[in-house]
Amino acid sequence: MRAYPYRRLPGVVSLRVTAVELRGPDDIRDPLDTSAFSAVEQVVAPGVSERDDWEWLRMTVEATVPGRATAPDSPWTDLAVVVVLSEGATNTRITTALAPGAEGGRQWVGHLDLWRADHRDRASMSVHVVATVDGVAGREIAASTKDWIVDLKSEAPLRDRELDVVEVGFREGPQWLRGFHEVPWVVDTSGDLPVVHINTDFEGVSDLVGGNGTSVDNMVRDLLIAQLCTDVWTAVFHTAIGDLEIEDDGTPLFPRDWRGEVLREMLPDVVPDRPVEDALGEVHRRRTGTSGWTDLQPRIHYAATRRADVPKALSTTIRGLDSIHRGADA
Amino acid sequence: MDFGPWLARQLKQSGMSQADLAQRIGLTRAAVSAWITGRATPREETINKIAEALGTDLGTIHTRTADTLAGLPVSWYHRPGHADGGREFGNAAAFAFEADVEVLAREATQNSLDERLDLSQPVRVRYTLHELSGEALARFRDEIRWDDLLPHYEAAAQQDQKVGRMIAAGLSDMYERDRLVLLRIDDYNASGLTGDDYETGRFAAVVRRQLDSQKSVSGAGGSYGLGKATLWATSRLGLVLMNSTLSEPHEGRTERRLIGRLDLPWRKVEDRPWAGPAWFGRPDPDAENGDVARSWWADEESTERLHLTRESAEPGTSFLIVGAHDVASLVEGTDGDADVEDDDSVHRMHHRLKEALGRNFWAAMTGGGKQRPLLEASVRTLRNGVEVIPEARVDPRETQPSRTRALQAFLDGTTVDRMTDSGQVAMATVPLVVPGRADRGNGGEHRAVLLVTEADDRDHGKPNRVTTMRGNRMTVKAGWVPGLPVGTNPFQAVLLVGRAAGDDAPFADEAEAFLRAAEPPEHDRWGQTEELRMLYSPSAYRRIGALTSQANKAVRDLVALPKKSRKAGSERLRKRLAVGGRKTSRPTPVAGPPTLEELDARIDDSGAWCVTAEMKIPVGGDSWRPAPVAKLDVRSGPRPVLAWSELVAVHNCEIVDGAIRFAPGSRTATFRGTTDVSTHPVRAQFSGLVVELRADKGAQA
Amino acid sequence: MTDKPNFLPERLALLADLNAAQYLTDGLLSGKEDVPAIALNKTTEPLPHDGESRAELDPVRALVEDAMYQFRDDRPTAADGWLAPRLHAALRLTRREAADRRFWNYLALGVAPDYVVWRHLAAKSEDAPPKVAARRFRGPAYTQAFARLWWAAELFRDGPDYRPVVTMCANQDMLNTALRVDVMDHRPTALATVRLMERGTVRTGREVNALVAAINASAATLMYDVVAPDAARDGKPLREWIEAAESAPAVPRRDLPVGPYEEKAPEQSVDVLVDHFAEIFAGAPVRGRPDADEGTGGEV
Repeated sequence: MRAYPYRRLPGVVSLRVTAVELRGPDDIRDPLDTSAFSAVEQVVAPGVSERDDWEWLRMTVEATVPGRATAPDSPWTDLAVVVVLSEGATNTRITTALAPGAEGGRQWVGHLDLWRADHRDRASMSVHVVATVDGVAGREIAASTKDWIVDLKSEAPLRDRELDVVEVGFREGPQWLRGFHEVPWVVDTSGDLPVVHINTDFEGVSDLVGGNGTSVDNMVRDLLIAQLCTDVWTAVFHTAIGDLEIEDDGTPLFPRDWRGEVLREMLPDVVPDRPVEDALGEVHRRRTGTSGWTDLQPRIHYAATRRADVPKALSTTIRGLDSIHRGADA
Repeated sequence: MDFGPWLARQLKQSGMSQADLAQRIGLTRAAVSAWITGRATPREETINKIAEALGTDLGTIHTRTADTLAGLPVSWYHRPGHADGGREFGNAAAFAFEADVEVLAREATQNSLDERLDLSQPVRVRYTLHELSGEALARFRDEIRWDDLLPHYEAAAQQDQKVGRMIAAGLSDMYERDRLVLLRIDDYNASGLTGDDYETGRFAAVVRRQLDSQKSVSGAGGSYGLGKATLWATSRLGLVLMNSTLSEPHEGRTERRLIGRLDLPWRKVEDRPWAGPAWFGRPDPDAENGDVARSWWADEESTERLHLTRESAEPGTSFLIVGAHDVASLVEGTDGDADVEDDDSVHRMHHRLKEALGRNFWAAMTGGGKQRPLLEASVRTLRNGVEVIPEARVDPRETQPSRTRALQAFLDGTTVDRMTDSGQVAMATVPLVVPGRADRGNGGEHRAVLLVTEADDRDHGKPNRVTTMRGNRMTVKAGWVPGLPVGTNPFQAVLLVGRAAGDDAPFADEAEAFLRAAEPPEHDRWGQTEELRMLYSPSAYRRIGALTSQANKAVRDLVALPKKSRKAGSERLRKRLAVGGRKTSRPTPVAGPPTLEELDARIDDSGAWCVTAEMKIPVGGDSWRPAPVAKLDVRSGPRPVLAWSELVAVHNCEIVDGAIRFAPGSRTATFRGTTDVSTHPVRAQFSGLVVELRADKGAQA
Repeated sequence: MTDKPNFLPERLALLADLNAAQYLTDGLLSGKEDVPAIALNKTTEPLPHDGESRAELDPVRALVEDAMYQFRDDRPTAADGWLAPRLHAALRLTRREAADRRFWNYLALGVAPDYVVWRHLAAKSEDAPPKVAARRFRGPAYTQAFARLWWAAELFRDGPDYRPVVTMCANQDMLNTALRVDVMDHRPTALATVRLMERGTVRTGREVNALVAAINASAATLMYDVVAPDAARDGKPLREWIEAAESAPAVPRRDLPVGPYEEKAPEQSVDVLVDHFAEIFAGAPVRGRPDADEGTGGEV
């Protein structure tokens, strides 16, 4: 639980993007369709425009602030509502102050400009209410809880990210893959997002994974996909748990990127019945502790198996085989 | 009728002798006698005087198609019981409706829309709630001859019917709480109750025949049919008074045509049986028995006393619902039978009327470009003549902001092809192939107008719908659009078909006629109807299904997220490899660790954080040994931990080596702590404190 | 000692993390072996701006050699303040490009592994043989040998003026902590911190750490972006500066280079924060400072 030495503003602060315009060389102005930004997902995807020459974009944003922020008897003065856009990977932080709009001080509106050269992947955007409280200027008295995302890589405004799947021949492919030429796939977890490399030199694998054939083919395919996913989730879990930032008291922090998402999804199966924060601490302690974490491996495997929906794929296959046998017997 | 016999009849009815008339107009009795016998005719100036004496106008004297009714008393005329002893338990239509001002607002306003007179101007409808008490209530009762009515009410209230109980509740509300609510509905720029008292015409349709519909516009959506019964249903006394200004003169007059109608069940009063209805008016001299009343042309003063004064001579009708109530707005939980009304009931009705008008008529109330709205509506509330909620126009932008914006943009011509700003309205056209009618003519391809705009939180109703309407701008249906991808921005769409699609739309009249034939009396959908089958063909209704799917497709094209370009790997595999957003339900832990429930923190004089924290302990969780940890919030990175300079157990626990031991079986416990200032990275005043319970399993005993 | 690569192509390139891993051998990390340069260059990918002058390898290599030569008798840490602005001005990257770890992997392993060894070879304890931490070659931006210098220059320059970068790099604790905390992404905050170093308000590594910790904690309740607004971000000067690389002479060795002509941070904003940070620093405990060790606390 948190406590602050000043009065904060209760209630919900929310942010909305209402228009996005790409600006390019020679002052090109290209307003994006509203389908390029989703109010449901809270994502802006300039990649929708399919033009690659833009240099910066201007977002029109609107924040909604609880009415009591501007009530005459409030303890807050010099109220400011600012939108902050930041991306950790590029150490970029842009702040724009909004101006009060209609609706008696509840709506605040303004623009926020994003320079493309300043960002690499996903920038997040939040709104903060700032005021002077008890003579101290610049206090943050409220902030939005769910960030908006400006996703420079995606071509659709969706929050979920799909891991990259690359089909490549390992034998002639990138150097590091050549050593793996006899296996059907390899997971690379070192980049911005994990990549699954499917070996096209392993004959038939990509056709099987991507295909749609007889019922037997499809059963094998689903089982194969389940197997592949188990490998993926095991690998990404180990990567995520292996590179944690640790607080002074030894408590590990959740990473901010996909690693955090993966941990939050899988930890409840690795360490059941505990809050995820506790579970993370537990796994980290075991991994770095003297007693080792071999006893945790089955749990990690269990979590990956569940995440990959192996039980469902397998039971479907077994039932399918049964009925095929019955058909053959009849 | 010749002038002589007509004059004789008027004198007889008003109880005036030839001498009386002669005296009033300053002529001799012989002169009057000569007119009556047809030996002479009065001069024009004399006719003026006769009109004045008879209390009528020149038109009536010249046409002589009606009686002047001068001098006869206005009073109640109850229809006697049937000779065969058959009983009616009240007007079936009136009691088919539960008293609900929302339904009233919909039906009555639709009637006004249908009766719009000057089609280039809106029809104006005003709802006035007026609560009377004390002196004002007593005066009103006198004016409607309450004493004559009371025996009938008391007899009706005796009956153990729903109607009887309702009347009883109405009476007790008036007598015990000394209040009566009048709800008046005025329309202006409407036809008014024209026509004869009994024959075909609007007047007769409303006042005499409860089940008839008399409409002036063939494309009307509502009617003076069943809808008008909601007027009586809203009165717990079954009583409605009317004042109409006619668009076409009747009996040579247009203003202040008054009548009242009461609907009661069969009852016995003073040993005589009475059938249901009664009328408040003047006796009809032509009636076989004198027990039928007809409308009268009232003077300004008595109109005012009946609370029926209209604001101008513009045609239209005022309905005054006496004893208005709204069962639907009664607070839930109160006894429905008791029909208890509280002091706020008028406020609630006011609010609900405004809501219902905005919700049902947002399209009719929206104008733009050169087109004025079809309707303007307002609501006000008075108490004994004093305004308590001032008159306010119903603004469709309040109840249906996004749909109103869409329609207005269409009328203003400010729609766009593709939306780049949340406030914009995108427009597309959708084909409706209108079939030729079976008997004549060919059809053609009508282009319906589809409007899409971002939904608004204040919208009434769910988002992602297509609201469909034709020329009368009544919502026929609001259909959900299937097949929208995840993440689609919430929207509202409006599909304007037929005449609603604008003057330029091809085959608009044909489409309008086609859809009218496809619209059932409930006005809630378009589909197969008998009329459609007869006029067009048995399969004609399929054109409507095609319109709907075309419209849905057009909506998806306008709002849908772009499809991701195809990448390697099957869709099936990629879906399984999505990070984030996966929700798996797992059972909640039993005997989980204790949690912080309350945190009271302040900074003491030495600059340390002093906290008092209350913990909640789940059943069986008292064996945990959590350690309280104080940290400071930071912008980024790990949070610095503050040391405790003091950690004290307050309630249900003890502190051992910085960890808490709970008293066995306790469900709550409290500790107090003070931080060590020397471990503060920054002065407490500039910090945000985070207190946690570190409850590692290893710490569990 | 690890030596200059025996093969250097003309152009800089990208080296993926996984490909880099195989070259992080014990021999390299202990400074005993070289990187197999020819093999390494087969695993690289070309830069997106491969065709531009700023993708040339030679100027970067020359700069690094000059740094090693100039500070050959000094502690290698002293080279940071010299190299950071000059590396920044030689590479002329956008932040988008600089956020690509593959670029820095290549610089460390493909261009100047000898520099990384020279600069970062250190003994953990007296008994253990000296070793370079692997993350100096391949790692997060705040530890990687070249990325940390570039980001220090990027975040602490005042528009075209690199002088604050030199001050900042003079304190290794500053270089190590400042890049880890998000508060320094706000330019007036970064510059005010440097100003306090120039003034001598904060001198030692412990004082720097205490100051940064105090700012980081106070920024949880105070929005310095509002208290001390920065000039609006404008990408045009940077673009022009990058385009000018085509005709730019080599980076000056004696004078400081000139960065992109971005608007400087508003003087008033920096002043406000200098005063404010001085105040919160006065109230913050510093390890080794008497008032903290006594543990008496109380208002300062």
